Amino acid sequence: MITQMNVRGLLFDPYNNAYIVILRDEENADMLPIWVGKSEASAISFALESIAPPRPMTHDLMKSILDNVDAKVLSAVVTDLKDNTYFAKIHLWYGDSEYSIDSRPSDAIALALRAEAPIFTTEEVLRKQNSEELERWLENLKPEDFGKFEA
Amino acid sequence: MSVEQNTDLIPLKVHGVLVDPNTDTQIVVLRDETNADVLPIWVGTAEGTSIRLALEDVVPPRPMSHDLITSMTDHLGMTVSHVVVTDVKNNTYYATIHFISNGLERTVDARPSDAIAVALRAKSPIYVTSDVLKRRGGDNLDAWLAKLDPQQFGQSETSDA
Repeated sequence: MITQMNVRGLLFDPYNNAYIVILRDEENADMLPIWVGKSEASAISFALESIAPPRPMTHDLMKSILDNVDAKVLSAVVTDLKDNTYFAKIHLWYGDSEYSIDSRPSDAIALALRAEAPIFTTEEVLRKQNSEELERWLENLKPEDFGKFEA
Repeated sequence: MSVEQNTDLIPLKVHGVLVDPNTDTQIVVLRDETNADVLPIWVGTAEGTSIRLALEDVVPPRPMSHDLITSMTDHLGMTVSHVVVTDVKNNTYYATIHFISNGLERTVDARPSDAIAVALRAKSPIYVTSDVLKRRGGDNLDAWLAKLDPQQFGQSETSDA
């Protein structure tokens, strides 16, 4: 079973000096927080806010290469969680075949947002991440921490 | 790009990546084969790190963004033939990535940092137009580079998650 997820926003995690992409399912019942680096957070934020930078950023380049050969991003899927590392796949349609490419979730999400492709995860991944612990952790975050980062 | 224009292309090697201690940036140092000309290009931390990983043949446990680009082009049967630093305007360098797909050459606009990171992974040549090399700033660049502490070469934090 797979569940469609929406990117709800980005948080700054001051304790780890990292960023967290928050994915939620459509009913807002399940949440998936994914820790990403600064440049990946910036790439996701540009897409969320529909900012077109003067020069193509790395994921704009990725999309531009795919567009150039008429390859289409079908979806991004967060497929697994092992030792606190999330795994993802990007599904492409090219010629008359589907290709599935191993990726970090941050790259998959940054590309999916630019291609307006859906983002999915599996029930198993949602089960694996411990939401109770997460919510306690989120309660400790100050509202000022939300959305704070340099592009 | 036509054959005539190609004769104006000068092959460059990536000599190294420097950390600019005064700013939060890194400098990719490109040199021509005779070491007579040097082209420094300022890039962001993530791009500098990505170029350094490729130079050192480091394969990270998870694919970085440029590894993903290489993986995509491989999957789709595309070959990166070469990249070119094509222009410099207001201190911003421009580049193109040339690839072959189904026998046709295609060109994509890119920042030089992305183009270089992709070229190194694809083991494809990097060129600059003679015009850009002529216009690159500062005659005292070599003096500036010589003054940099060699310790600064290759030092950076790998900050990507």
